[in-house]
Amino acid sequence: MDAADREQLLARLREVVGERYAFADPYEMRLYQYDASPETALPDIVVLPGASEEVARILKICADAKVPVTPRSGASSLAGGTVPVLGGVVITFARMDRILEIDTENLRAVVQPGVVNLALSQALKPHGYYYAPDPSSQGACTIGGNVATNAGGPHTLIYGVTVNHVTGLEVALPSGELVQVGGRKSAEAIGYDLTGLLVGSEGTMAVVTRIWVKIQPLPPVQKTLLAVYPDVATASNAVSAIVRTGILPAAIEMMDKLSIQAIEAASHAGYPLDAGAVLLLEVDGIPEVAQELGERMAKVCRENGASEVRIARNEQERQALWKGRKGAFSAMGRLSSDFYVMDGVVPRTKLPETLAKIDAISERTGFKICNVFHAGDGNLHPLVLFDAFQPGQYEAVLAIGDEILKLCADAGGSVTGEHGIGLEKRENIRYVFSDDDLEVMDRVRRVFDPHLLMNPGKVFPGKGLQPSALRYPPGYPRRQAAVVGGEDLWV
Amino acid sequence: MGVRASATVLPGHQITVDDQRRLSVDELLPSKIMHPGDAEDAAHGLRLCDLTPAAVVVWGGGTQMRLGAPPRRYEIAFSTERMTRLLEYEPADLTCRVEAGMRLSDLQAALGAQGQRLPLDPPHPERATVGGMAAANSNGLGRARYGTVRDWVIGIAVAYPSGKVARAGGKVVKNVAGYDLMKLHVGAFGTLGVVAEVNLKVQAIPESEATVFGHFEAPTPAVAAGLQLARSYLAPSAAIVLDRRALWECGLTADWRWTLALKLEGYAREVEAARDQAGGIIRDAGGRSEGADLPPTFWDAARDWSAPDGDVVLLRAIAPIASIPTLSGALPPEASVIIQPAAGVVDLRVTPSSAAPTLQRLRSAAGDEGQVVVASAPPSVKSSLDVWGPPPSGFPIMRALKQALDPNGILNPGRFVGGI
Repeated sequence: MDAADREQLLARLREVVGERYAFADPYEMRLYQYDASPETALPDIVVLPGASEEVARILKICADAKVPVTPRSGASSLAGGTVPVLGGVVITFARMDRILEIDTENLRAVVQPGVVNLALSQALKPHGYYYAPDPSSQGACTIGGNVATNAGGPHTLIYGVTVNHVTGLEVALPSGELVQVGGRKSAEAIGYDLTGLLVGSEGTMAVVTRIWVKIQPLPPVQKTLLAVYPDVATASNAVSAIVRTGILPAAIEMMDKLSIQAIEAASHAGYPLDAGAVLLLEVDGIPEVAQELGERMAKVCRENGASEVRIARNEQERQALWKGRKGAFSAMGRLSSDFYVMDGVVPRTKLPETLAKIDAISERTGFKICNVFHAGDGNLHPLVLFDAFQPGQYEAVLAIGDEILKLCADAGGSVTGEHGIGLEKRENIRYVFSDDDLEVMDRVRRVFDPHLLMNPGKVFPGKGLQPSALRYPPGYPRRQAAVVGGEDLWV
Repeated sequence: MGVRASATVLPGHQITVDDQRRLSVDELLPSKIMHPGDAEDAAHGLRLCDLTPAAVVVWGGGTQMRLGAPPRRYEIAFSTERMTRLLEYEPADLTCRVEAGMRLSDLQAALGAQGQRLPLDPPHPERATVGGMAAANSNGLGRARYGTVRDWVIGIAVAYPSGKVARAGGKVVKNVAGYDLMKLHVGAFGTLGVVAEVNLKVQAIPESEATVFGHFEAPTPAVAAGLQLARSYLAPSAAIVLDRRALWECGLTADWRWTLALKLEGYAREVEAARDQAGGIIRDAGGRSEGADLPPTFWDAARDWSAPDGDVVLLRAIAPIASIPTLSGALPPEASVIIQPAAGVVDLRVTPSSAAPTLQRLRSAAGDEGQVVVASAPPSVKSSLDVWGPPPSGFPIMRALKQALDPNGILNPGRFVGGI
């Protein structure tokens, strides 16, 4: 975008949000060039709307000017979902962070997209309710971002992912319209399920401006167990054994030897350093049921190779066990200056062979790979450790990531369980979808966004090119290539 | 948009008079029949229909064919009756892949042999197909506890008028790759494509089950008790409020006027605790609690009640749960009623003559966030009713989606909301 166009657009956006809340100073915009993925790109303008109507007006202005729009909130995307890879306008929701309504009578809450996930559950707690999806980054990620990626978390094993908890949306369209879709406070709605379609569409169709979510009663008791195994294969088989008993725990998380070492160094969660793998299991329920299920699971764990099973005796011990898991990614700093996290999924029964193959990749390439993941639903998070300042390492790590996703897809799984396709995996999406599949998705997208201005460069593959050679749709202002490099990694 | 009259020869097979009658929709008869053998075959058939163009009505088990506006045109009966295979099932993964024409009861039998089930309970599972259940978003009495079809479908293969089969989702329980087109097709009544295969999550059959009845003289306290249970941690797997006539239609007679029937499922101790809690809440609401010794057919009859076979008019109101007490107060005395308080659903059977005024009254009582549809009605009654009510917010997007995926408008033309 040339300077004159930018000035003109900035002036128009300032008419909507006011002088303070739209800016184009490169220094100020540095913050908005990255998320939790390795890739970066500087926007042309950043705008901070304060209300839904402002978002709609911003979209109309951008559509008229044929300028790409990238929505951004907590910016904890691990897949580059909020990196404005083709420049244009970044809309950030820092000012739209209010819980608009808590309606326990209808078991609903209404929130703006910038509300931090954990803040909602904290606000609900005094009422005896909570919001179930709990991504590990829940202290920083927002409900708007969760909707964009259809975020999961450890407890989605039993309670489902974001889409299972969203009943309605208000969205702004590139046409400048503001539309409410879905049942909102009703559980069901007549017509196509646009809510379900929009959740997980990664900002490529519309911008979410308000969200109706289900809330549910807090479980009376949660029992958390730590089961210690000699290796990941034994632990994986134990997961299948637990599922076969008919018990569905609220969470089954696995951490391998390297992860345990990193976590212990960082947060002293009490994981045994000599273990080959640990499972973190949780059941919830009324006290007598949680107690019984805890004991039954402990028995299954022991019968399936656990050398030790510990049950958290109180909330403090429980929190310590979870602190280790939820802080696992940031703990990797203890082992390595950089890491690259994958988000593959395999059917539960394919966990042992998949982990063995990942191990073989690590052996072959010499890069250490940690595994810390949602074992209950087969959602793997291999973390490849590397040093971004060593020439060639980043490229090598990308190739490893590609190989891991391919083997997940070949095992009947998926290339992303909860982080989204984003910028990162738009080529890998071909491992799970044919051109015919993608063509239908593309038609659907164009219904909302005919000029492909909504978070462009995401979800859909190019022609097998690297980000620096992204295909620019006709009419786009050409800009400097996206930078791939060793920006700070944060989870 | 829309199918034009055509003098060309219609694709498909000759249809017998019996099949014509069996596959009629709102008194319209098909001219030809197609019964593809698999997803690719279905897409190929649709392509022929699209080229003609010929209007297609998609058939599964036919249990929801009374729902929807009369088709604008109907030439080809497109039946999934030959697509009945269980393609994949791995019990330890709690997932399966099913062809659209598989009967739900057949699927449940296969899952049951492994101690598992699909916790969806749409009416008439012995006839309803998996594809039909998905297309019609047909749910049963467990929807408040277990969610609806959209919550259990993890992948889909759809045949389109373009002649292509396209998939979305996958075979794993957690997956955000690509757009969630499962949501788009669930409840679309086959107006965007023909659901050919469905991938589902399943669950273990709960180890224990019990039923509790509460007797009431008025609907409001029964509904209030149902709602209180819904908001509690030990929520029942089904909670319905029936008037005396609906109870009778489900095979039971009663001296009292309103019944709160609760199905409790879970681990054994959980069910015990839920039973105690339910008894307490019923008594506090002024009802009499009873551990019911029921004929085994009761819950099946209650499930099937909302998809009646005869010339019954069934209206369905969907609203936020807190407005269900108000809505329950607006019901005509002559209607028989089953209310699902926790799901925000009220089903009424009314006489043909009272259908129109009741529909109007319910639509105003349901408020801004409520919706009322004619779920079943004989053609003579249906023609005078607005089956879906006013198009929902976002309707222009829906129409544009229809145009994008079925540009010639051959799929179930006119059946869905807003004339889609």
